Amino acid sequence: MAWLDRVWNVLRRARLQRDLNRELSFHLTEKIEELEAGGMSQSEAVRTARLQLGNVTKYVERTREMDIHRLLENTLRNLRQAFRALAKAPGFTATVVATLALGIGANSAVFSAIWAVLLRPLPFPEPDQLVQLAQSNPKMKAPFVAPVRLADWNRLNTTFQSMTGYYTEEASEISGELPERLTRAFVARRFLETMGVAPVLGRDFTPAEEHFGGPTVVLISDRYWRRRFNSDPNVTGKTVRFGKTFVPIVGVLPANFQFPRPGVDLWSPSPDDAPFAHSRELTWYTAIGRMKPGVTLAQARSNLAAVQAGLGREFPKTDAQISAAIEPLKETTVGSARSSLVILFGSVSLLLLIACTNVAALLLSRATARQQEIAVRFSLGASRGSVIGHVLAEAFVLSISGAALALLLAEAGVRAFRSLAANLPRVTDIVLDWRIVLYSLVCALFATLACGLFPAIRGADRDLADSARGTRTIFSGGGRAQFVLVGVQVSLAVTLLAGAGLLVRSLQQLGRVSPGFQPERVLTFQVSSSWGETSDMRAERRRVDRTLERIQALPGVEATATTMDLPGIASDYQVELMVEEGRAETEPKVIAEGRAISPGYFATLGIPLLAGEVCREEPGIYTMMVNRTFANRYFRASPVGLHLSQPNNMYLPKSVIRGVVADARELGIHREPAPTVYWCFSPGQPGTHYLARTHGDPRAMSEPIRRAVHEIEPLRSVFDVAPLADQISDAYAENRMRTILLGFFAAAAVLLAYVGLYGTISYSVNVRQREVGLKLALGAMRTRIVGQFLSQGLLVAALGCSGGIVLALALTRFLSGMLFGVSAKDPMTLTGVVIAVLVVSTIASLLPSIRASRVEPIEVLREQ
Amino acid sequence: MRKNDILKGTLVLLVLRTLASGRKMHGYAITSHIQQISDLLLRVEEGSLYPALHRMEQEGWLRAEWGTTEKKRDARFYSLTAKGRKQLAEEQESWSRLTEGVARVLRGPMEAK
Repeated sequence: MAWLDRVWNVLRRARLQRDLNRELSFHLTEKIEELEAGGMSQSEAVRTARLQLGNVTKYVERTREMDIHRLLENTLRNLRQAFRALAKAPGFTATVVATLALGIGANSAVFSAIWAVLLRPLPFPEPDQLVQLAQSNPKMKAPFVAPVRLADWNRLNTTFQSMTGYYTEEASEISGELPERLTRAFVARRFLETMGVAPVLGRDFTPAEEHFGGPTVVLISDRYWRRRFNSDPNVTGKTVRFGKTFVPIVGVLPANFQFPRPGVDLWSPSPDDAPFAHSRELTWYTAIGRMKPGVTLAQARSNLAAVQAGLGREFPKTDAQISAAIEPLKETTVGSARSSLVILFGSVSLLLLIACTNVAALLLSRATARQQEIAVRFSLGASRGSVIGHVLAEAFVLSISGAALALLLAEAGVRAFRSLAANLPRVTDIVLDWRIVLYSLVCALFATLACGLFPAIRGADRDLADSARGTRTIFSGGGRAQFVLVGVQVSLAVTLLAGAGLLVRSLQQLGRVSPGFQPERVLTFQVSSSWGETSDMRAERRRVDRTLERIQALPGVEATATTMDLPGIASDYQVELMVEEGRAETEPKVIAEGRAISPGYFATLGIPLLAGEVCREEPGIYTMMVNRTFANRYFRASPVGLHLSQPNNMYLPKSVIRGVVADARELGIHREPAPTVYWCFSPGQPGTHYLARTHGDPRAMSEPIRRAVHEIEPLRSVFDVAPLADQISDAYAENRMRTILLGFFAAAAVLLAYVGLYGTISYSVNVRQREVGLKLALGAMRTRIVGQFLSQGLLVAALGCSGGIVLALALTRFLSGMLFGVSAKDPMTLTGVVIAVLVVSTIASLLPSIRASRVEPIEVLREQ
Repeated sequence: MRKNDILKGTLVLLVLRTLASGRKMHGYAITSHIQQISDLLLRVEEGSLYPALHRMEQEGWLRAEWGTTEKKRDARFYSLTAKGRKQLAEEQESWSRLTEGVARVLRGPMEAK
């Protein structure tokens, strides 16, 4: 391979130079010898020889340049010709470039999301060493760890460098004119050490500050430092104010440090030697560990399992049932987004494939139409390789132009994605950077090969070219390949449309579900409070009651309540309950979802009472409500009046059931109601949601409510104000994003299939113009001509549809976890999809067919 | 008589012809050979020879290998490949057509002014 050698030489210039130098010095020696033999003095001979030989390096340069030149020249010539040829066919070029831009652009946009969310390492040093730790218990799913247990784990393990924990609360900072809500993280010892960050300004916490009773201090975020303190380099020593306390700032953390989550602006030590932190039963830390270098996840798991088993022997009452769970921090951060992103990426990859098929079909048509030109090239002595190179150069120019346009599209796509997928983890990190550009170029390269190679090889077929040498219209079977490609496109489009259809149907079904409560006209909000305040439960309850009363008194408010978890939004708090009145061993265990609400909850949400009475706060006794599923599943008779307790939970003591309410889809609109117990108990701890049922538009009440709360609680801030319907809708934002994007991709796929079919039939019409003209001249009906082309198109479409259905049945099962109320093989959806595609195909084939029948026989025959 | 610099494009032909004997020759020998055979009418410029040899090697017309001369010096020896032989035939053919054409034009009648 001569050209390979040439590339080799360009790369191996050092060796080439050495060879050439040796060769030339030999030449010089010989020359000098000859001159000396002719009678010259030595010095003169050397001089003459050198003069004759000239500048040695120049030869070297020239020789190498020649290699580069020939390579570049060929490539440039091919590219130049490709540009010229494409400029002559603007319609074709525009279609191909637009198709590729769509395919590559959508692909790059989704890839940028995959890269930013799933692939990119977390922004900490050695992020793979970071894991999330949890204690799990067969009775209760709890993501949290007791501080004292975390300290034990940290002390006894051999596989971790360090472990730490944190919790967050919404704080109200009041040194400004209005209270400002800030998210404050309370972190255990070793927090910065474990995360691997250091303050950019100031210092880490001192051991004294990490002890109970030590001074309270705070580290602030870069964002808050810039916004609130105007990037003051002397910020350390200044204070922020919460309630009555002024807390000094000891440092500023780096801008890219957003942990536990973006939006945290303050970090304070959480002393794990506080008296209340000694309980092995109360859990509140989300725990993070950094494994030692080289330690695998499996080693860490088995090590910590052994440590916990030891604790189980030491503290059988509290620790025997508990096991330690370890997940990579990256997984717990972004794992939830994986399935959506993978589905989307699969879809855009199909779209890219369709785009490539489309372009291949178009290039093939073009190559066939240019058979005569190619035949001429052959007869002028062009090699098969050079003809292939020529066609590939065209595909390359098209792909690169497509990729350039695609980047613009992807930029817009990324912006759309960020707003559609606002709930996705790390979504703000999604940007177009050089990797995405590189990725687009790789896509373009792939497209060149996928689109260009087949037409290039076919187009460069000597036999085909020979057959075309004579008359242009001798044409047989050349169109078959195009039709196969179009069929493939149709089937891929059907597959995508089926997926999108199923998601749309799911969303429709979800909209039709009656959730068992009325989210309309309910406003939700939160009021800042701290975990510290929960030490005086009675005061907290009085505070919450006072707030609820004040809001209730507002004109336009019908009912108010609090709840720890918003209804209709996925949240799990599964508890096992004991029936104080006794329960046979043979009967199933009583397991239920637990919710803590205030008595007004059922009136506010319109959940009807079925038996007993609505709970009230009663002196001396805790009361609760249960839902119908709970009553029916666990009790034959009415459970009203029975007492339920939760072993090992000091927080929620024994309670009496006062009534039974109807089932509501508390855990999410898409989930069947589970057995549920409601504790009538509004502790007002951080995370409590306030609900207000309003007469009119709930949004109109947000200002009056904010003002009312400010009147009685001037030091607290009201935040997260939104209608319940919006909150629920936000919880399903990922569903919607998936549906919208997949729908968009499917629509694009159908459009491409339309273009492909239309283009191919048009092409076939053009090629067979003479035949049509002859037929018409011989008296064929124009309708028959239409029928002939139309049936050709419909046959391809029908075959494509059947292929698409098979493919869809194979692939839609990947969607099954995301569907609601329809099966992955829903016949209605699939039928609808096929009908839609057939209608589009009919239009696509009908237009060129009609054009074919309008041919004037005389003109065609004269022309040829 | 002035020495003629070799017409552009004919150097390849001359080198091919020189090597057609089947002998392996180094660049210096090729130069001397052409000059001798042409009775010093043609002069091979080194500045053109080596790039040309290199190109011909890349085209696959020549094979090159390192060897030692009788005087025990390292030199690069060139020989003709089958492809080169074919090329020679083609170039000879086109050369004779060219010269014949030129000759006919030169023999032809002068245009009147």
